[in-house]
Amino acid sequence: MEFTVTIDKFEGPLDLMLHLIKEQELDLFDLDIVKLTDQYLAYIHAMQKLRLDIAGEYLAQLAELVEYKSQKLLPTPPSELDDNYEEDQSALLVKRLIEYQKFKEVSTAFEERFEQRSEMHDKPQSAIASQWVKLDEKYGEADPYALIKAMNRCLQRLQLEQPYEVKVAKPELSVDQRRVQLKQILKDRTEPFTLEDTMRDCTDIYMVVITFLSLLDMIHDAELDFTVKGEVAYFRRRDAEHAA
Amino acid sequence: MQPEEMQAIIEGILFVVGDDGISLEKLSQALQQPSETIQPVLDAMTKGYADDPARGIELVCYGNSYKLVSKALSHEYCKRVFDQETPKAFSQAALETLAIIAYKQPITRAEIEEIRGVGCDMMIAKLLARNLIREVGRLDTAGKPYTYEVTEQFMDTFKLKSLDELPQLPDYQQKEEQAEPKDLFG
Repeated sequence: MEFTVTIDKFEGPLDLMLHLIKEQELDLFDLDIVKLTDQYLAYIHAMQKLRLDIAGEYLAQLAELVEYKSQKLLPTPPSELDDNYEEDQSALLVKRLIEYQKFKEVSTAFEERFEQRSEMHDKPQSAIASQWVKLDEKYGEADPYALIKAMNRCLQRLQLEQPYEVKVAKPELSVDQRRVQLKQILKDRTEPFTLEDTMRDCTDIYMVVITFLSLLDMIHDAELDFTVKGEVAYFRRRDAEHAA
Repeated sequence: MQPEEMQAIIEGILFVVGDDGISLEKLSQALQQPSETIQPVLDAMTKGYADDPARGIELVCYGNSYKLVSKALSHEYCKRVFDQETPKAFSQAALETLAIIAYKQPITRAEIEEIRGVGCDMMIAKLLARNLIREVGRLDTAGKPYTYEVTEQFMDTFKLKSLDELPQLPDYQQKEEQAEPKDLFG
């Protein structure tokens, strides 16, 4: 049996099973557990081959399915009790699948309603009205969720009151770019130099951080040696060691 | 008070309260008229806005709260007024979880997880943060789990006047019942 493993994210093992049932045209109301288990297993294997992460829930469900399957395949002594047990298990699974399918299906209706609603716009309360609040209500009896609502409202108002954010950004310097710059700056430095020396041309905290990261990189790549005396860090070019 | 006067006052109030909306009870307090008098005015207004093709706003009632909103038909044109639109959407997981809570509330996390077959703690935290669901209470069983229900915000988000307006759950029950006797006696 060929499998096309879709990248469609399933919402969980139940979702995957429903997909398989549909794809393999199994009858949900007279579910062939053996067939479903085989398909499910094959799917999990295919996912493994693609090195997709498989959440624990899928494996837990697989274990359950395999258990049902083995119960179904093993010759069981014709005992009343065992028969009932087996029936219960798969009936239970079918029930869960049906229940899940219902909510899965109805959720599209919710999506539609949401889409309709998001094309209808309302406006915030008139600003003046917030100063008219009556304070004769009892304290300590409000719903704590009203606080969340109040906070959200504050944040929304704040956002509305602020002008559109304008940010003048310099092209950001990368560590690699800074390393090239540093090499240029340090080209003629055969003497040890301090951390401050490397940061003389820095205009903001961002550049200071990038410079520091570049130095760390250079130390890592054995281009620089360093030592710390007192509170001052000294650097020396590795290739200057011999030159000096 | 004449119905026209009431309508004018109500329209004014609705304009001021904005997205907060206002309940029938509050309107009745404000106008000092019984709700039985106000309700027909609201109904007439709702119909008036909806049926008048020359009006760009309509009166809606979601989760017990009346408010004025722009009609959906203007949305396409609004988009042209503003450059950007950030479409918000719900994930399939969020929709499923919300649907389960709406139909089964009050419901515990474990019960939701039993239906969905996956862990839902992160999803519930997100929905709580978006004020779409809230904790109603705790069950008196092991672990005293919280129970959840949907909020007015949920009703507004999904255009619901009350939970009675929830879309009909698909009914597979009949087929299942037909299948059951076969399973039992077949």
